[in-house]
Amino acid sequence: MIRFLARRALQSLPLLVLISALVFLLIHAAPGGPLAIYLSNPNVRPEDIERLRRALGLDRPLWQQYWSWLAAFAQGDWGYSFSDGRPVAARIVERIPPTLELVGTSIIVAIALTLPAGVIAAVRRGRWFDRTTTAVAVAGISLPAFWFGLLLQIVFAIGFGWLPSSGRTTLGGGDLIDHVRHLALPVTVLAVVQAAAWSRYLRGSMIETLAQPFVLAAHARGIPARAVILRHALRHAIGPVLAVVMVDAALLASGAVVTESVFAWPGLGSLFTEALARRDYTVLMALLMVTSTAIVLFNVAADAVHALVDPRIAAA
Amino acid sequence: MTLRCLTPLTPLRWYQAGAALVVVCLVVTATTCVRRSAATPPTNDLLIVGYDREPDTLNRFSTHILEDIQTCVVEGLTTTDEQMKVIPLLAIEVPTIENGGVRLRTDGGMDVTWKLRPGVTWQDGKPLTSADVKFTADAINGPNYNPESTDGFDRIGSVDTPDALTAIVHYKEIYAPYDIQFIRGMLPKHVLDGRDIDRAQDYNRAPLGTGPYRVADWKAGEYILLERVAHYWRGDEYPKIRRLMFKFIANTNTRINQLKSGEVHVVALVPWDKYREIAGMSSIVVHKTAGNAYEHVTLNERQFPPFADVRVRRALTHALDRELLTKTILDGLAPVAHGPVQPVSWAYTNRITRYPFDPARARTLLDEAGWKMGPNGIRQRDGRPLAFTLITQAGFAIRENMAQAIERQLRDVGVDVTVQLHDGTAISAIWFEGRFDAMLHWWQMPSDPELTTFFAADRTPPAGRNINYYQDEALTRLLYASDRTVDREERTRLLQRAQQIVADAAPEIPLYSITRLDAIPSTLKHFKGNPTNTGIFWNVHEWEMK
Repeated sequence: MIRFLARRALQSLPLLVLISALVFLLIHAAPGGPLAIYLSNPNVRPEDIERLRRALGLDRPLWQQYWSWLAAFAQGDWGYSFSDGRPVAARIVERIPPTLELVGTSIIVAIALTLPAGVIAAVRRGRWFDRTTTAVAVAGISLPAFWFGLLLQIVFAIGFGWLPSSGRTTLGGGDLIDHVRHLALPVTVLAVVQAAAWSRYLRGSMIETLAQPFVLAAHARGIPARAVILRHALRHAIGPVLAVVMVDAALLASGAVVTESVFAWPGLGSLFTEALARRDYTVLMALLMVTSTAIVLFNVAADAVHALVDPRIAAA
Repeated sequence: MTLRCLTPLTPLRWYQAGAALVVVCLVVTATTCVRRSAATPPTNDLLIVGYDREPDTLNRFSTHILEDIQTCVVEGLTTTDEQMKVIPLLAIEVPTIENGGVRLRTDGGMDVTWKLRPGVTWQDGKPLTSADVKFTADAINGPNYNPESTDGFDRIGSVDTPDALTAIVHYKEIYAPYDIQFIRGMLPKHVLDGRDIDRAQDYNRAPLGTGPYRVADWKAGEYILLERVAHYWRGDEYPKIRRLMFKFIANTNTRINQLKSGEVHVVALVPWDKYREIAGMSSIVVHKTAGNAYEHVTLNERQFPPFADVRVRRALTHALDRELLTKTILDGLAPVAHGPVQPVSWAYTNRITRYPFDPARARTLLDEAGWKMGPNGIRQRDGRPLAFTLITQAGFAIRENMAQAIERQLRDVGVDVTVQLHDGTAISAIWFEGRFDAMLHWWQMPSDPELTTFFAADRTPPAGRNINYYQDEALTRLLYASDRTVDREERTRLLQRAQQIVADAAPEIPLYSITRLDAIPSTLKHFKGNPTNTGIFWNVHEWEMK
């Protein structure tokens, strides 16, 4: 298994370099650069723009900029933010805990919703529970996160006044209860949307599994129905779903961009939105590389988990 | 590495553990929800401001966004009040020719003498002196610092400091807006001398100033907390409010929701389309300030040559019912503008040509210009249709609505407009490169009414902001003359003449004058507002909750 993981990780390295080159080209191709934001100030003159361009190293050929970025990045030097002059690594590291807090909680809640919804809907296929969860899931998948988020704010923060509408903590707060209160609405948005999709996958996978001969055999051996479903069928059906969960988790871990923005959550997603608006190339590059690495690693991890559940994968 | 690994915790138990956790969370949330309210009322202990973005830096000379937060910490020699009048702050008076503070030299330069207010100290107790004024000019002009702009400073030859409270600034040429040269404050020499200011994070994240507040905390992505200083130079009774918190809430809807739920108390620059949502709230007052910015349609005559014909430009202006547009889309909150200088400016004149809504006149002018109505309802000349693209910023509901209305109204006189939306950063690059036909946008005008950069013939990008690419040599001479005099009467005369020429030539279509809407608690006293980039916090030391 260790050799399997090491091989997969090594195979990913050239892929990451290729991604970095493509991403570098893409963000430089987007109209406007880090200096565009200065242009709306009439007091900023062409001399100022040229001076700032040189100071940021943007006057060099693109390949030189990429090469010096790559060489430094590989050695752990992520450079300085074009926007606030702080080290990029510091700017990213301070945003990781909020994102992990939000995304971690959302994934746990989403899984907790997915398992009963997916299993019961499959077992009672076509009955009222299945039809209801299907309707709810379709609604959940279709809900735009920003709209759903604002709706929750209007009901629970403005209407009832029960929960804070956004932010991570209250000034002077920051205890567990304060965190939970701030997490409630953004977690609801993320968990409902994720659970809606995941429960559909699980339902499909379970329906397929329940029709397999080994399930019939388990019933025939007199194993209680509940145990057949949860111990035998679910373990088999959950493999492909786990792979989807892992990849979605990687995407979420790199920042739930829309949800973080609507709830003013100080995570990686908000940082990405801000860096994109300001064309903060160094922060954008580092964020996109962290995201790409996370997705690659989670994919490897998904393979590993799948291999744990189904040893034939590791042997392959 | 087999299935046995999973047996200690079967899927059933995973599920049970997860469900238990969710139940615990829900119970904790539910039980605490009913006991705690998310809202905190504004008090003299804490006032919370919903701010639309996190600042890049708190160094006023480096930032490229509004300086609201910095204004509370770092003070300049002068500031602008609610009527955009330049008033002394750390200087005892604004230097003028009359009071002997400004002396014109025979070599074409000028000397400005700043007398500093005695007894002012930096927040660390060190006295503010003329050496700080000199250090600021030298640092900005020096090779080791990259401020946002060196405009004005680059015209300073040297600064003399005959005594600790007198700084004489020697300009190489006449510089009309000298009175706001140090409006952004001074850099403290004793903290920054000999250092790389771009990397001086201690200063850039928590600048040392002379203002009523200091930076107590900056939580990335969340907020900046300011705390009152113990001994403010105006007296220990100021400021009245102990802490100011700036919460970063980029999403406009969320910001307004926080205002409604009482989680923030102040929202500056409320979008007009949100006015009705909050106007009825008893806890909130929406303060209106006549602004110094104007929304307009830039007509790029280099990219779209038909705009070079004054008859076409006048026809387009006549074709728009601007009264109707402001009444409907802006809810009547902003008045129609007729030129680049707004009524709040001392240089404003209303004795200029105006273009009332008159579609018949517009049609006649277009006919005279040779643009005849085609069979498809679009005018054409020499087989080419009168059709252009209007670009504007995406995600700005009012602009999008306004662009659609313009498209519709111009269609009525046979002009085909296609609206294109771009994000804010992209649009800056597009206009700077002149790659557009027409653009709907605004200029936030400096408090000094300089028009040269917007209309002088040689100030097309990259040399300036003349993105109409309008060329008028007489106007250009007039504008440069207005920059080279510090005689207010003469300057007013020249700038008013320039406004008349601009209005006659109609190089752009002025739409409306920006009215600032600031939502504040109804219990907040001494709030005055401000039409300039100085922002609403210029008199924050007086603010008090009653």
